[in-house]
Parts: sequence; C-alpha cells; structure tokens
Amino acid sequence: MKGIAKEEVQKLMEVKGETRGVTLTIDRDYILKNKGEEGLKKVEEELGELGYPIKYKEIETFGYYPVGLRALSLLAIKKVFDFDDKKIEEIGFFGTRVSLVAKFFIKYISSVPKVFLREGQKIWRKHWTIGRLVPIEFNKEKKYAVLQLKDFNLHPIYCIFLRGYMSGLFSLIIKSPQITCQERKCPFKGDEYHEYLIKWQ
Amino acid sequence: MAVAKGKKERIRRGEEDKVSILLEDLASLESYARDLFSFLPLPVCLISAIGIILDANPSFEELSGYRLEEIIGKPAEEVFDKGRLGEISKQTLEKGFVRAEELSIFTKNKKEILGSASATLRKTEEGEIVGYFLGFFNLAGIKKREKELRETQVALANILEDVEEARAKAEEEKNKTGAIIINLTDGILVFGEEDKLSLMNPLAEKFFDIKARDLIDRPISELSTFPTLKPLIKVLTEEVGEIFRKEVSLKKDLTLEMSAVPVLRKKERIGNLIILHDITREKLVEKMKTEFVSLAAHQLRTPLSAIKWTLKMLLDGDLGKITEEQRDFITKTYQSNERMITLINNLLDITRIEEGRYIYKPALTEFEPIVQFVVDSCKGEAERKKIKIEFRKPKKKSRRAMLDIEKIRLAVENLLDNAIKYTQAGGRVIVSLKNTPKEIELSVKDSGVGIPKDQQGRVFAKFFRGANVIRMATEGTGLGLFITKNIIEAHGGRIWFESEEGKGTTFYLALPIKEEFEGFLREF
Repeated sequence: MKGIAKEEVQKLMEVKGETRGVTLTIDRDYILKNKGEEGLKKVEEELGELGYPIKYKEIETFGYYPVGLRALSLLAIKKVFDFDDKKIEEIGFFGTRVSLVAKFFIKYISSVPKVFLREGQKIWRKHWTIGRLVPIEFNKEKKYAVLQLKDFNLHPIYCIFLRGYMSGLFSLIIKSPQITCQERKCPFKGDEYHEYLIKWQ
Repeated sequence: MAVAKGKKERIRRGEEDKVSILLEDLASLESYARDLFSFLPLPVCLISAIGIILDANPSFEELSGYRLEEIIGKPAEEVFDKGRLGEISKQTLEKGFVRAEELSIFTKNKKEILGSASATLRKTEEGEIVGYFLGFFNLAGIKKREKELRETQVALANILEDVEEARAKAEEEKNKTGAIIINLTDGILVFGEEDKLSLMNPLAEKFFDIKARDLIDRPISELSTFPTLKPLIKVLTEEVGEIFRKEVSLKKDLTLEMSAVPVLRKKERIGNLIILHDITREKLVEKMKTEFVSLAAHQLRTPLSAIKWTLKMLLDGDLGKITEEQRDFITKTYQSNERMITLINNLLDITRIEEGRYIYKPALTEFEPIVQFVVDSCKGEAERKKIKIEFRKPKKKSRRAMLDIEKIRLAVENLLDNAIKYTQAGGRVIVSLKNTPKEIELSVKDSGVGIPKDQQGRVFAKFFRGANVIRMATEGTGLGLFITKNIIEAHGGRIWFESEEGKGTTFYLALPIKEEFEGFLREF
C-alpha cells in the first residue's frame, strides 16, 4: 500500500463542509471490534503522521468535524491494514449496525416509500453540511431503487464506503436475503453526481 | 455601526455557547442511553414492523451467539420460533404490548432456548409504528429445574411406593413377630432406650401376675416398685454382663431361667432382650434326683461302713488268723470298699452342693500349713509312682484367709491327687504358693498327660473325665474338680487352668485374703 500523498491530504482537507462526529465513530467501533485497541492506536499514529492527530475516543458524537477528516480516517485505515475495497464497503455496512446515525434512521423506517422519499434526505442533512441525497426511483415490483448524491465530491474511498452503507440501510427496511448496491455514476469518473442502484431479491 | 456589529457578535457567541451546551447534553444523553442498553442483563432486541431485527443489546448477542453486525438486519423469524413470534408480533402491534409469552430462540449454533418474551410497541413522535422492543427471559434453567423437579417427583413417588410396600411387608413381619412373641412358650421382656420397658408378652405377664399396659414405657428403676418384679429387677440391675443366664426364683413354685441378650443396631446397643424360660419342672426333677442320690448314698454308706469295719477286723486278725491268700483277697475287697465309700462321699458332697447345704465353717487360717499337710500326705503315693513332688513356698510369711480347713484341704487334695494320678513315672509335680496384694494363689503344675483341647470346656463339669485318662484305666469318679470348683467359689475364690495334651497341666486357685474375704462374707 503506497503512502498518502501530502497533496492529497491537503486537497482533501480543503473540501468545504462539515460532518457530525457520529460518522467518524463508525471507523472507531469497527477497528476496535476487529483490530482492538492496538489497531486503533496504529490508525491514530498514521493520522498523526499526516498532520491530523485525532484521538478517536475523544470524538464527540454530535460535534462537527471537517468533511475531509471523514475520508482521511478511511484512507488511514486502508493504509494501516492494507484493506481492499471490499473491506471498506464492509465498514460502511458495519456502520448501519452500530452507529447512532443508523439508530436515528431506524426511527424513520416505518414505511419504505417514506424513508426513501423524505427521511433519507432529512437524515443526510442532519449529518452533513454538504451534499444532497435525492431519491429518484423506488420500484417495489422490480425490486430496485435509485438514489443520487449531489454536490458531494469528497474522495473515491467514501464512494466505496457508501456502497456498503446503502446496502446496510436497505437491509433494515427490506426483507431480502441479498441486497446489492452499485455506484453507476460518480463525479470522480466524470459524472455530475453520484448515482447508486440498490437491488434486492 | 460598530456598536451594532459588536452586539451581533455577542448574540452569535451566545448562540454558539448554547449550541455547545446542547451538544454536551446530547453526548451525555447518548452515553447514558448506550450504557442503559449495553449493560441491561436482559436480552433485548428491536424488531421492525415488517419483522427485521433493527437493534440488539450485548445480552442478546451473548444469548443468540450472533455478533451484532450479524443479527441486525436479520429477519426475526430466522432467530425466533416463527409461529409464536407471529402471534406475539400481531398482539403487540394491536395492543401495544405483550407480557410473558412463551417463545423459543434459535441460537447461531442451532440450539433452541425456551424463554418468556415481553414486547412493547415503539412509535415515532407522529405516532407511526417503528417496531417493537422484545425482551427475552431465558427459561432454560427454570425449565431444566422444572424437569428435574418432575423427575424428582416421579422418583419420590416411586420411593414412596417402595416405602409403602416395605412398610406393608414390615407390618406383616411385625404381625408375624407379634404372633410369635405372644404365643411363645417363654416370657419376653424388651427394654429399649433409656432402659424403658417396650414389650412384655402375655406369658411374662402371667409369670409376674401383672399387666403389660401398667409397665410399658416405664424405666427399669420404676419397675422395682412392683413386688413381683423385684427379684428380676435385682438381677438385671446387678448383673452387668453382655449376655448372661441366671436362675430366678419368683415364687415357691416358679423358677425361671433368665437370659439377657443385647439388642444391637449397627453394633450399637439399643436395648436388652430378656427371655424367661420356665424351669420349675426341671428344677423339681433335678431336686428329686438329688434327693434320690442323697438317699441312696446315705443308705449305701451305712452297710459299706459296716463292711469296711468287718474287713478291717479280718485284716487285723481280730476274728482269727487268716492265710496270706485270704489277706490278699480281703485287702483288695477292703480297697474296693474304700473307693466305694469315697464315691458315696463325693456323691453326698455333690447333693449337698446342689441343695445348697454344703455347709462351710470359715475361720481365719493360714493357707500354707494346709497345703503343706496335703503335700506331705501325697508324698508316699508320689514316691511309689516315682514322681518327684516339690513345694515352693513364698519367702514372706504366709497370709491368712477365712477358710473352711476341711473343705479347702479336700480341694487341694483333689488337685494334687489328679496331678500325681495323671503323671507318668519319672514325672514332676510342682506345688507353688504365692501372695498377691489381694489374694493367695496356689498352682499345681504337673508334667502329665494334659487335657485334650476340645474337652477343656467341660473340665469342671460333673462326672467329666478326659478321654485320654479313661484310656489309661486310672481310677476316678469325675467329681473331684466339680467339688473343688464349688469349694473355691464358695470361698469367694477363683479356679482356672492351663493345659497342653502330652505336656502337662497347671491348675491355679486364688483365694481372697482376709480383708477381701470380709467383704465377701457380708454377702455370703
């Protein structure tokens, strides 16, 4: 795994916008559960070397942090543990099981269309000061949904994370043995926005 | 303009402070909610209205065996008993709650755990249903204990059945034993704990002319207040041996042989069984026999004495000169007559002993001269048989005892006679006398034929003669040791022996010295 270039870090930290600490605690809980205290310490050291000595346990759940830090945390984890995309996706999925974001989300899952059409956007706004989550289509019969994330050009690693996260969230509202999420449009591939296609059986 | 800007700045800072405080409160609230959920010992999960597990606490993780990331998002019907969960879910969604409904959970390793589930509906602020919290109380332990209890109950019922059967058998045995005891031809008394009378059979009632109901549960000490029981109680309280037999004369025409046997339970004595056998008839027959023997002996002794003196006169030549041949015949006849007289005298002694008329005339006497006299009188016979006789006396002065000289002399004579009689020529007889602090002890040791081991138990019985001495064709009536024993015991003394066939015998007798004898006399 090659190191993270300082320019990349700088560019990332220049992205405007903030996110709630609760989105960062997902990484903390995942590492603690799978790599233990030692693993978490290594990630903190890596972030320190990059110029951002974060103490994960001091992160305030409802506090606001630069959006760049969210992606930087994932990049540090990827580097320290040599994680591939599947693992990053797994962190996203894990987030829907343990994070408070998911717990808040639970409150809105009384009906799928409602979640899809309204509450998704609302929750996004509660946790991010940038980006808009736009529901495009929900086809119950054909068992798929399309979501777009606009004005959110953070880092490709977060696109992977979101794939896992979307799958996890949909598994809480749709009873299906398998749910997949595919990012079919991405600003880092020349598109205007992110577009996710979620399918279930 | 600048003032307005400053004011605006203050307002902004004030708002920031408020936000900061709110964030702190929220963080605390989150921590509290997390702790409450995490440390709850009861397994709890949140199930959505469509049946997906949305959240679970660590207790639920532990119970189900699934990790949190595995269980969240899982259809609840894959974890719980589908049918029961459907009912609980339906009721909860309708009523808002369900309490203590039976429900099974299937763990990750396919184990079924039976429990009690309670559920409460969760709604949004707008009243929309989110799902329901389901708390699961593990009943496996209770069910296991229930099962164990049921098994124990069954086992107990079986035991009770067995006990009842055993009780019926015991009752039957008891009835049988009761019938045997009631119809027994012996009287039975049983003394239980604290020496209280616990059983008295009808024959015992008849012996004592008393009703058992008046005596049962009374301690032995109280029973002596009943006049008819006094002789029995006297024996029971004085005799302390483990097992003993004793004759008890209750009335003039009633003599019982009392046997006491300890009642044991696991080697522990829990009471005494007293068996009373009516020996009145035996005693009467015995008495008649003794009287007959006594009468016959008396009747025989007079003519035998006449014969003795006539033969003596013939031998002394008072009735004229006799030839040597005639002297030989008359001498043999005289000796036979003497033996006959001895036998008659012995028989008379025995009848006196048995009738309790063997009169003793004790006087404070030294024992040593009596023994010396007997040793001296036996020397002639010993020399004739070429047996060396030795008398070993104590160095200290001989002690005195209350002795009937004539009877004691007879006793010592009997022992010494036997020693000489049953020792072969060239043998040795040692008579030893020694004083112990309380007794005078005499031993007569011979190097004779000895007493066969299997016959040693009957040595002091009437008419006993060892098989080996009968073969030797020696003279003897078999009454000497019986008489000797009675004489010694009448003096409060003891007699015993050690013997090995072919090697010799030592008879011992011990007589109490004066101080001890005085005590004995008071009872005598």
